Amino acid sequence: MEKVKVAILGSGNIGTDLLIKILRSDCLECSIFIGRNLSSKGMSKALSLGVKVSDQGIDAIIKDPGCCDIVFDCTSAMSHQQHAKVLSDLNIIAIDLTPAKLGPFCIPAINLADSVGNMNVNMITCGGQASIPLAYVIGQTQKQVDYIEVVSTIASKSAGPATRLNLDEYIETTEKGIQMYSHCTRAKAILNLNPAEPCIDMQTTVYAQVKNPDMAALKKGVDEMVQKIQRYVPSYHLVIPPTFENNRIIMSIRVKGMGDFLPSYAGNLDIINCAAIAVAEEFAKTLAANRG
Amino acid sequence: MKNVIISDATLRDGSHAISHQLTRAHIAAYAKAADAAGVAIVEVGHGNGLGASSLQVGLSLLSDTEMLETARENLTHAKLGIHVIPGFATVRKDLELAFKLGVDLVRVASHCTEADITERHISSTREHGKEAYGVLMMSHMASKEVLLDEGLKMQSYGAEALIIMDSAGAYLPADVQDRIGHLAAHLNIPVGFHAHNNLGMGVANSIAALQAGAQIVDGAARGFGAGAGNAQLEVLVAVLEKMGYHTGIDLYKLLDAADIVEKEIMETIPSISSTSIVSGLAGVFSGFSKHVNLAAREYGVDPRDIFFELGKRKIVGGQEDKIVEVAMELRDGTLRGAHAK
Amino acid sequence: MRNNKSIALVQGDCAEALAPQVERLFELKNRVLYVTGGTGFVGTWLAEMVSYLNDNHSFNTRLMLLARDVDAFRAKAPHLASRSDLELIARDVRDIREIPEEVSYLVHAAATPDNRQHMSAPISVMETITRGTAAVLDAAQKLPDLKKILNLSTGQVYGRQKDDDARIPESRAGTLSCDSITSVYPEAKRYAETLCCAHWSLYKLPVVTARPFAFMGPYQGLDKPWAINNFFRDAMKGNTIRIIGNGLPERSYLYPSDMASWLLRILVDGTPGRAYNVGSPYGITLADLAEKIKKYSQSESKIEIKGMNDDRSRFIPDDTLCRESLALQVSVGIDEALQRSLRWLEAIA
Repeated sequence: MEKVKVAILGSGNIGTDLLIKILRSDCLECSIFIGRNLSSKGMSKALSLGVKVSDQGIDAIIKDPGCCDIVFDCTSAMSHQQHAKVLSDLNIIAIDLTPAKLGPFCIPAINLADSVGNMNVNMITCGGQASIPLAYVIGQTQKQVDYIEVVSTIASKSAGPATRLNLDEYIETTEKGIQMYSHCTRAKAILNLNPAEPCIDMQTTVYAQVKNPDMAALKKGVDEMVQKIQRYVPSYHLVIPPTFENNRIIMSIRVKGMGDFLPSYAGNLDIINCAAIAVAEEFAKTLAANRG
Repeated sequence: MKNVIISDATLRDGSHAISHQLTRAHIAAYAKAADAAGVAIVEVGHGNGLGASSLQVGLSLLSDTEMLETARENLTHAKLGIHVIPGFATVRKDLELAFKLGVDLVRVASHCTEADITERHISSTREHGKEAYGVLMMSHMASKEVLLDEGLKMQSYGAEALIIMDSAGAYLPADVQDRIGHLAAHLNIPVGFHAHNNLGMGVANSIAALQAGAQIVDGAARGFGAGAGNAQLEVLVAVLEKMGYHTGIDLYKLLDAADIVEKEIMETIPSISSTSIVSGLAGVFSGFSKHVNLAAREYGVDPRDIFFELGKRKIVGGQEDKIVEVAMELRDGTLRGAHAK
Repeated sequence: MRNNKSIALVQGDCAEALAPQVERLFELKNRVLYVTGGTGFVGTWLAEMVSYLNDNHSFNTRLMLLARDVDAFRAKAPHLASRSDLELIARDVRDIREIPEEVSYLVHAAATPDNRQHMSAPISVMETITRGTAAVLDAAQKLPDLKKILNLSTGQVYGRQKDDDARIPESRAGTLSCDSITSVYPEAKRYAETLCCAHWSLYKLPVVTARPFAFMGPYQGLDKPWAINNFFRDAMKGNTIRIIGNGLPERSYLYPSDMASWLLRILVDGTPGRAYNVGSPYGITLADLAEKIKKYSQSESKIEIKGMNDDRSRFIPDDTLCRESLALQVSVGIDEALQRSLRWLEAIA
């Protein structure tokens, strides 16, 4: 099938990591890598890979709207407000990796098919991508879920100034995502930073308070979900299998990043990138099918 | 005569000691007594602070609102203080509620290398006209140069004091002198110290801190706090008086307050157990002890092995989920403990 | 939210500050003025001043304000943002490649004086200052009719004021210890000043430098945790005003209409290659400042001097150069400045 053209807006670490993943994709082709500064690390990497670059920001797409069908926006929430309108007017699909949250949430392992058809899709948060699938399984397999709690621990180095200044937004967005997908109204998200060297991989623990838990159904559901996620995040694996102890359900997963451009300990950033690629590939398959 | 500000952590750190099951009666009785004794700051809440009631670190019997309302009603002279960890508590959901409930002082805490996550919470506290301190937890895990750098950040955000915590009870007096001395020499804001007693150094470390330039020390009645407990408040005050410090506290009334804690609130008087010694040496967060003991029983392994492994992996406060993981590994034999049966 | 009362206050300040200066600023007539960091405190005041000159003295000066967040400016000063003689350009100063060739006056005010940001994002702060300044100077090279560039540095490049200096003159070399995170901002600004000097030396680029000290007045938000902001906030709320030390440190505060008129004069008449202090030479102790704020706000607040440190530092600029070479002086004294600031804060509350 002919590859669908995609553009990356934002030439920082996230955008550059996405570029490398796209180069491996069967159905996506990066037609342009866009930033604001040609001398950034990401730009030189893109050039070295033979990818077309631009320092014109969103203007690069306005000047040549036919250059892509899908855009990954990894700039900032503020910039995305402006970009979203432009892309919508040009009928280009936007996959939003910023905290802007203009479009509906997407977790590939859960609502990938539903997302196709939306012109703007938001990837929630890293902790959300890791934990919401498990919260979803809890909601699906258990009759009465009273409370779900998600604790993520990430390496200090994988959290830059922007993440640290926006911890509260991260918590609120993750909690919202958990509530939405599990249908449980009481949710709590916690984030820990650990500075240990060598840097730790991202770990996310999901707790739940459930009346009369059906652990067999839960274990089966979680195993299936983990396998689904491993298709787009290969290193996502259980380190504590679903267990009922001390009046609570506990399970925990760990993610190691693929180390494409982001370091491998930044599993938290990698998972959101892998999820975004999965979404783009699904859109691409649909587009190709409609054209073919 | 030298002045010292005493911050009483009984109704907050003590919460760890009874798995966060403080009742309204407990809070009312102790707050009233501490207030009458002239304590400057009474800190109230879940052991891990505002908004921390959770399955991860323990569910609290009372809500933050109930705890703070009760304390507020029973304090007239003392300041009502809270402990807040960004990542657990948000400004909008948790902190703004605390402001409305009449909290006077907010101590915003982070792991000792992560001060920049406190910027928003400290700024918000100052904007609301409340007093803000910065707190560096598990401070034994960073050098004094790093502690100063992190302290300078908190100072720039508007923190009016910097408290360093010996959350693991790992320090010896010379360590304290070294760190506090460095901080006091280079910060504009006053420096404070929060001791834990795992190696029996609670009071001694607090005195060393004061002699090195600290102006604020934390304590808890009868040492009521996480793990082996905090510096025992009444002992500390007695020693300070003997040394000629002015604490503003009426010692006899403080002893009465401590009696209340012993008779009505504690389940056991804090002592230095074997696991406390091990956790102190391993440099592990004191608040883990109940969770470690629970996991040791649940998975049939030695709690000391769990502590050693957590220390090796440099686990920080808030990572209680790792306790279960390590316990399971010990049970399954994927990890060999020195004390395996 | 801006309203008519607050706008009128500022316009009144502009009229008063500019009255003795209008003729000396005639060079700006019919010119284009480009301001980086154009929507910050300095940029906003320059915009107010130029708007005043355009409306009342037919200056016909066009303003171009460059900033990352232009929407914030539209919200902060809608009466300015909607003007036809003012253009907003949304761009990061580091990414400037070209400046419109009609520009003859350039003010480089892009950088943030928020010391919290210096601590939390030190690398990006240094980058913005160093790369931003380099980008501006490179782009300025190509302007066919450039008359002057004004580089906004900071009084912090002097480091700590020496005990035997009553005030800091521009000739003081200043010392910064480069191994502390507190040097991030002033060190980057020092580099920027020296870079300007290099462009002036090699290409004869007409760069003047201003070293701003401390200001207080309209458009200065109370969110930054500076002592004076805390005093205002606590006095207005009736909370205890807390001074951590002994109350003796001395600072000085210049009212922004003086600041902006001084900056415009330095831009027009300043000698390229020179630096000029911009700040009030009249010091006031923190204790006295708290007392005055309490008095003027008619506050019931108690003032608590905690005495927890013995800092007696001074940080006060010497204004001789501006006074003697440019005939500039402080026209709004501290008492008047405080009262006007309080009026402004009440107007926008």
